[in-house]
Amino acid sequence: MIETKNLSKIYNPGKFEVKAVNNISALFKEGEFTSVVGPSGSGKTTFLNCVGGLDQPTSGEVIISGENITKLSGSKIINYRLNNIGFVFQAYNLIPVLSAKENIEMIMLLQGVDENNRISRTNELLNQVGLYEMRNRRPSQLSGGQQQRVAVARALASKPKFILADEPTANLDSKSTSNLLDIMSQLNEAENITFIFSTHDQRVIDRARRVVTLEDGKIVNDNKK
Amino acid sequence: MNILTLIKISWRNVWRNKLRSFVVIISVVFGLLGGIIIIAMSYGLNEERMNNAVETYLSHIQIHNKSFSEEYNIKYTIDNLEGIENAINNDIRVVSYSKRIILNGMLSNSNGSYGIQVKGVDPIEEVKVTNTYEKIIEGEYFKSEKDNTILVGKKLADRLNLKLKSKVVITFQDENYELTSLLYRVEGIFRSGNSRYDEANVFVKNNSITKNLPNFSGYHEIPILLTDIELRNQVKNDLVSKNSNNLIEGWDDISKDLAYANEMLAAVLYIFMMIILSALSFGIVNTMLMAILERRKEIGMLMSIGMSRFKIFLMISFETMFLSIVALPIGLILSYSIVEYYSVVGIDLSIVEAGLENFGVGTRLYFKVPNQEYFIVAIMVFVISIISSIFPSVRALKINPVEATKTI
Repeated sequence: MIETKNLSKIYNPGKFEVKAVNNISALFKEGEFTSVVGPSGSGKTTFLNCVGGLDQPTSGEVIISGENITKLSGSKIINYRLNNIGFVFQAYNLIPVLSAKENIEMIMLLQGVDENNRISRTNELLNQVGLYEMRNRRPSQLSGGQQQRVAVARALASKPKFILADEPTANLDSKSTSNLLDIMSQLNEAENITFIFSTHDQRVIDRARRVVTLEDGKIVNDNKK
Repeated sequence: MNILTLIKISWRNVWRNKLRSFVVIISVVFGLLGGIIIIAMSYGLNEERMNNAVETYLSHIQIHNKSFSEEYNIKYTIDNLEGIENAINNDIRVVSYSKRIILNGMLSNSNGSYGIQVKGVDPIEEVKVTNTYEKIIEGEYFKSEKDNTILVGKKLADRLNLKLKSKVVITFQDENYELTSLLYRVEGIFRSGNSRYDEANVFVKNNSITKNLPNFSGYHEIPILLTDIELRNQVKNDLVSKNSNNLIEGWDDISKDLAYANEMLAAVLYIFMMIILSALSFGIVNTMLMAILERRKEIGMLMSIGMSRFKIFLMISFETMFLSIVALPIGLILSYSIVEYYSVVGIDLSIVEAGLENFGVGTRLYFKVPNQEYFIVAIMVFVISIISSIFPSVRALKINPVEATKTI
């Protein structure tokens, strides 16, 4: 369970203040498939950065499974991210010199997973995202949709408590988007993994079971389907 | 993540931009080559200068009477000559020796006078310790049956306009401090490769001195050649214990400037090499900073998903080090090949002949690099590459993952 309490992120405090996230309190239960939506500048990305421990909030708390991660710093927050949160980036951000298989394996290498478990988990994930046959290809040899599927598999490799995805379909065509959403829905249902997306994409919003709408850093609508 | 995986990623990263990596590697190779060639030339020059001095006039060890070394009066001849000769003859480390009479005086002709040192030698013994006989450029090396012939250096000959068969007068103080003059005729002109030596030293037969100084007997100098120059201190110490009134010196005691030059050379060359390598390291640092700038997003992503700062530091450090480490063997092999070739063939530097003669060396320079120098240079490159890796790695750590990835 992820809970934010009075979460605020203010840029340029005391000068030309920009309240990117303004006192947001929200609860995301395990297994939810949530879209965070809103116009550009509404604070979606900043909110997810704070929830993911990438950005330090100006005030408020982020409590994940009872642990206040805003109090973690340095190597503790890095380790927390490694073992508990999966990230999917808009631009995929795969390591170009590693193959699809190696990109997925890398996160488990960081975790210190032993070789046998690493290989079996990698193969399992490659099968789940339908890229086992392309496991030895480097990112430059994969399409955008395939790269994003590798990115999803990488995010899942560490067995995270939840996955944060910022505009994961922004660079994909409709077929790849549909394919990616199918995969993520299946993983959500089969493995009860919590997904939180920020998106403008109506196709993603349509598939979400909860839609949180932000405006000027505040939640203006929280709609559960 | 184990270190091998990190090394694998770093290695592959080096080859992401092949052209850029090759440019850096080639610059390191040429830097190494330049540095080692300068080392080779410096060692070559110094060794030739030293060998030239040893073979022409210093020998490995010289023996004088202690008082002669202080006053240069000809009455101070070598003490216990027979005992010394016995010791030298029975020492298997000694290859050859000679006995010289030394006069410090003035050489004059109708064109002027010049201060010189006269070496009165036995022409047959002398060829065993010096190579002057090989350096005769005009005339002969004591072929004449007459006693009063003289060999003069090219520089002195030019200064006093001496030709073969020119008459010269040598004036010096005898053992009673009386001025004595001897007449000689030039039989040969030598060019040793050291113009200062050629200007201030002449050779005569020792008979020509002894027969004109009936009250004089003995010798002032014994030059000794050994089987190995490094044995000089051993042999010197053995002789010192038997000769309290004589001064026994190695070549490095006699010619302190040569010895200091030898000692200073290594230090100067290392400083020079450090300057070259430091300049190269700026190229490496610049390349790596460009690479990091291009990969901000990727590094930000690695930080986001949980790669520790230490591992990112290591990854960038390895990439920087690989650039140097790849260049190192190429540079060393290339340098070694070139040095070996020119150590045999030599480089013709006759264009700067006059300057080299003043320095005491000939016009053909043979490269020389002691093997340990390659090892030291390799260590220096490695150390510089580690130092060069720090700045880009620290820079990478300053990347903010939120800003770098723009999105999560």
